[in-house]
Amino acid sequence: MGATNKRLAEMIRVDHAGEHGAVRIYDGQKAVFDKIKGKEKTAQMVAHMADQEQEHLAYFDALITQRDIRPTALGPFWDAAGFALGAATALMGEKAAMACTAAVETEIDAHYAAQLAALADSQDEDDKALAKKIEKFRADEAEHKHTALENGAEDAPAYQTMSRLIRFGCRVAIRASEKI
Amino acid sequence: MPIVAGMSAQDPYLETRQAVLAKALPNVAFDGWSKAVLAAAIEQAEIDPAMAELAFPHGVDNLIKTYSAAGDAAMLAALPKPDGLKIRARITEAVWQRLLEDGDNIEAARRAAGYLSVPGRQKLAADLLFTSAHLMWRWAGDEATDYNYYSKRLILSGVITATRLYWFDDKSDDFANTRAFLERRIENVMQFEKVKAKAKNWSEKIHGDKAPLDGLIGALAKMRYRQS
Repeated sequence: MGATNKRLAEMIRVDHAGEHGAVRIYDGQKAVFDKIKGKEKTAQMVAHMADQEQEHLAYFDALITQRDIRPTALGPFWDAAGFALGAATALMGEKAAMACTAAVETEIDAHYAAQLAALADSQDEDDKALAKKIEKFRADEAEHKHTALENGAEDAPAYQTMSRLIRFGCRVAIRASEKI
Repeated sequence: MPIVAGMSAQDPYLETRQAVLAKALPNVAFDGWSKAVLAAAIEQAEIDPAMAELAFPHGVDNLIKTYSAAGDAAMLAALPKPDGLKIRARITEAVWQRLLEDGDNIEAARRAAGYLSVPGRQKLAADLLFTSAHLMWRWAGDEATDYNYYSKRLILSGVITATRLYWFDDKSDDFANTRAFLERRIENVMQFEKVKAKAKNWSEKIHGDKAPLDGLIGALAKMRYRQS
């Protein structure tokens, strides 16, 4: 579809899906923390991250249309799964919510790093512009991970197990959204 | 692998396929989309057999694809800028223009529909329709990036198919009956869109601030964090 390279289309498709999923995870966490008195600080922290994810999503939304790239057909599934993951971890506790953020952002960081490596040698202006955006987004995601770790992610109950499960889920989602 | 947008080469066999299609079309009306017609057209177009093998690895399927893509391209070339038209009118015009592109050789179009209706070719048929519908929505300026991207194209695929089948048997002047049929189908789609908009409203109520799901999560949150 379109004149664009197939691999590049996959990259933009999965990034679009991922940012959509991220927005929904934070939506789920907000649905919990917004309701609890005394959790205003956590709610604000989550809202700040959600705003940044929303910005990232807006960029990929526009890019999908401009470059005539098919969005993932799994959108409705990630929409529900993201929200459920966010709400469920937030209900487990603040630290579990932070552990979820740390796990997700770890995978996203690795994912963006791989994309940057793939784009590194390109002389194409569009590719360079995309790489620049991804660098900025990656810095935002790293900041989210840092925030999560500072706020006790590693002290969450069964942190290792939960982190592994969520990271595995992210990797499956990434692979699936590139192709489907 | 270089990841450079715009460097993905144009289809290197496009011209070969188009030359063969031009030779095949007059015969398709009589003999159908057959291997024999393809072979004869390759010979008439004086295409080297090795080249023909590369350009038509899936035989007649490739010829039908070329035919469909040529109709899509002609449609896009013929359509004006969509400014000033409502979405409904844009989509109606696009489907209509697509039919007109096949109007010079209706028999070839009818035979193509027959070829694509055979079991085992549903995937090809669906792909070609989806591509046509995709190009129509893009021309109309659609920017959906969620499930609507798919639902819009699938629903329009249905409209194109139904209108095309009606058109094959239409004896009215200038296909006036087909045009009316198409407008009624588009009207159906718009009604469906209205239902969808209502459903969206309803779902926003569910996901919104005072919605049942939100209320449930809020209640769970208060239980979990021991607040009343």
